[in-house]
Amino acid sequence: METHDHSHDHAHIENPVDAAPGYYEVMETAVRELLIEKQFIGRGEIRRQIEVIDSRTPALGAKVVAHAWADPGFRSRLLADGRAACEEFGISFYDDTRLIVLENTHKVHNLIVCTLCSCYPRTVLGLPPDWYKAKPYRARAVKEPRAVLTEFGTDIPDDVEIRVSDSTAIVRYLVLPRRPEGTENYTEEQLAALVTRDTMIGVATINTVK
Amino acid sequence: MSSTESLIKHLPNDIGGMPADRIEQIDHILLPWEKRCHALADVLDFHKIISTEEKRRGVEALGSDIIGKLTYYERWIVAFSVILFEKQLLQPEELALRMAEVEKRHQREPVL
Repeated sequence: METHDHSHDHAHIENPVDAAPGYYEVMETAVRELLIEKQFIGRGEIRRQIEVIDSRTPALGAKVVAHAWADPGFRSRLLADGRAACEEFGISFYDDTRLIVLENTHKVHNLIVCTLCSCYPRTVLGLPPDWYKAKPYRARAVKEPRAVLTEFGTDIPDDVEIRVSDSTAIVRYLVLPRRPEGTENYTEEQLAALVTRDTMIGVATINTVK
Repeated sequence: MSSTESLIKHLPNDIGGMPADRIEQIDHILLPWEKRCHALADVLDFHKIISTEEKRRGVEALGSDIIGKLTYYERWIVAFSVILFEKQLLQPEELALRMAEVEKRHQREPVL
């Protein structure tokens, strides 16, 4: 038996990754295990869905936007039926939601929100940022969108109408930002690189994102 | 307006148009259990056990005190538990027993 050496005693070092789970994490584990044991959900389904969630990021939405800018036919189909056009483009919808794509023009700037909770076009943008889910954005976006946009550093000229669309559990929105001037010769890949998450929520415009 | 009128005009989640603070542009990477909780929501929806709208109503039914104090995914897992009890797919007692078991399991597993 080796002698006890305090220099090798790591018992008091806290590692947050290995720390005991909190009350709600324990609840999550218990609920998940019971649902699997009772065969309400399949073993491995949660892990598979985590992989699906991880595969959805704003880069996907940016590709859709770039393709719409580059291909007028696709743009028309996207505006007519967002979900069908995205599916045609190879993006599967894992939830039972409708997607409405809102086009920004010289006359209209669109902003999306979910006042009741946190509904978001997850299939094309991934999970929403925390501020989208928090009270100030949800409460104020529908009432004072210009003030909200100013807080995001986005100034929309007074003669441009601001339209705010309130998402629901089954209807989700995606903003199609305006294609910036001087990008006529860009490839779709170069165009996609200009498109950020916030421009597809509508709190930013392409021009303001440097 | 009477003192109680505002309470019934807006359920806890119905905050669109209400006065609120400045938007703090914050975000965080989900903790592993939070991501599992999100995946659980999707899987429960796929199996038509709890729909997205039922989940939203379930969170609302927790009341403004709980909604105000719990974090986003804490509210979700509590709402799921309550809805599963209501649908009699889980019993409160078995959840309590399993939670105690999960806690015990972590106490046994040494921190490496």
